[in-house]
Amino acid sequence: MENAIEVKELTRNYGGLLAVDHVSFKVNSGEIFGLLGPNGAGKTTTIRMICGMLRPTSGTAVVAGFDVSQKPQEVKRRIGLVPDVSNLFGELSARVNLEFMGKLYGLDKKTRRQRIDQVLELFHLKERQNDPVKYYSKGMHRRLTIAAALIHQPEILVMDEPTSGLDAQAARLVREIVIDVNKEGRTILLTTHQIDEADRLTPRVGIIDHGRLITLNTVEQIKSSAEGLRALEIRILNEVDQQRWIPIIGGAEGVDNVFLAEGKIRILSKDLSQIIPTVVNLVDKHGGKIENVSVAQPTLEDAYINLTGESIREEPKSREEYLQRRLARSGLR
Amino acid sequence: MKTSMSLMHAVWIAENDLRQSFKSVRHVVWSLLFPIFMMFTFSFRYGAAEPDIRFINFLIPGIVGMTAMFGSINETMSIVWDRSLGVFDRILAAPVSSASIIVGKTMSGAVMGVISALVLLLIGSMIFGVSFVNISLVLLIILLASFSFTGIGTIISGLAPEPREAMMLSNLLRFPMMFLGGVFFPVETMPMPLPYVARALPLTYATEALRASEVGNISTAFIDAMVLLVYTIGTMLLGSRILMRIMTR
Repeated sequence: MENAIEVKELTRNYGGLLAVDHVSFKVNSGEIFGLLGPNGAGKTTTIRMICGMLRPTSGTAVVAGFDVSQKPQEVKRRIGLVPDVSNLFGELSARVNLEFMGKLYGLDKKTRRQRIDQVLELFHLKERQNDPVKYYSKGMHRRLTIAAALIHQPEILVMDEPTSGLDAQAARLVREIVIDVNKEGRTILLTTHQIDEADRLTPRVGIIDHGRLITLNTVEQIKSSAEGLRALEIRILNEVDQQRWIPIIGGAEGVDNVFLAEGKIRILSKDLSQIIPTVVNLVDKHGGKIENVSVAQPTLEDAYINLTGESIREEPKSREEYLQRRLARSGLR
Repeated sequence: MKTSMSLMHAVWIAENDLRQSFKSVRHVVWSLLFPIFMMFTFSFRYGAAEPDIRFINFLIPGIVGMTAMFGSINETMSIVWDRSLGVFDRILAAPVSSASIIVGKTMSGAVMGVISALVLLLIGSMIFGVSFVNISLVLLIILLASFSFTGIGTIISGLAPEPREAMMLSNLLRFPMMFLGGVFFPVETMPMPLPYVARALPLTYATEALRASEVGNISTAFIDAMVLLVYTIGTMLLGSRILMRIMTR
């Protein structure tokens, strides 16, 4: 299968801080590929380099057969970028925003008008097309941002955290759009820090953390790497702060990892029969009562934790990581 | 073909910027209220105190030059806002050359400077009856001044990573320039060494040239226009260099 994107040893250094560290992967034509990792892992920096908006310190990225460093304009013509923030001109209407984008991508007047009508219809924005974008809801902003990225009918759609900050309904709609766009034959590269999103949308993912690609595989195979691991979920009765039990349970013998997932304490272990009595005794010893216990199938998140040794985090854990994130974000914002 | 496309990109970027600025009525009103307020305040004060001198004939060209400065720098600083809001990324992700982006942003800054200055010129002429002997020279001076201020705006936009910092940096330049650039007081009456400082500022040449055009002193206006041209080239080159470095990093 032909590669839509081929990244080799891509590296970006921000004044001594490695935001992206020798990352290599390929995205096949027509597939949905995900880069999964916490905020500040280097996902955005990676896609900025792929889109020709940031020069790599070393390494190469070839998009649709063009080397980004040598032919950035050719690459830009073939990519539609949906950034993590909906960066539209707030004072202008959806139609004027799309008109401007169409002009920048060199579409003639007739084609512009046709495509604008088409995407406004497709993304359910026709009725509000003449309202200033600043009055749009977050979901509408997102839809318009995707519409703007598709105005020149790119071969490849690159989406940075496509459902970030959206409510469940708007996020579902965006996911449906991603699948529809892919069915049209377009390749999609998306980044996400939401494991369930990667699980739902991307058959193949690369897990990235601290600028390095930790693993690259199909979601199914990554999940199966957690085989041998079992997951136990418990809730402590009448406990407001379930989090306080994490270090207590985490210290028990046989527990590989423990974290909070959807309000429940999720414990990973290779031998559940050994740890169930240990955990029950431990909770009892610390004055708690277990409300319910269930055994669950290993998820992508379990596999992620198994691979990285930690859950996907929102906050930087060190000053260096904080600086790295700030530098990565300051790119041109 | 490639050059004409690059130029069209620049025109569309400028058109989009101006459309965005003019869509916000409050933005336009607020940016014009300040020079209008200054014009009326100073005209009342000095108009009443020295009725024979027609201080207003001295003041209006200065206010027009100052308005061009505020209009151009404010508009060009939209680059900083665009960067902080991520809007700049939208243009960067498109197949548009860095030169087109810089030319487009420069054009919108200069156009805004010219439009703002013309509004003040019109108000000055209509309300205070100030007239200019050579109006085409006035337009040329306003255009050149606006371009040189736009150059300063691009330098600020390149140096300041965020809007708050850009505002502080621009105020650091604009306010001393407003008081030392001969808008309200003649440069010659300033105590030493302020006239030397004033002679380093483009606004001084803009106001001097506008006053010279008011009375038809073409030679002075021409020399000042040449100085403004040098300023324009210098600030544009430096500003473009800084912006180019940011865009291609």
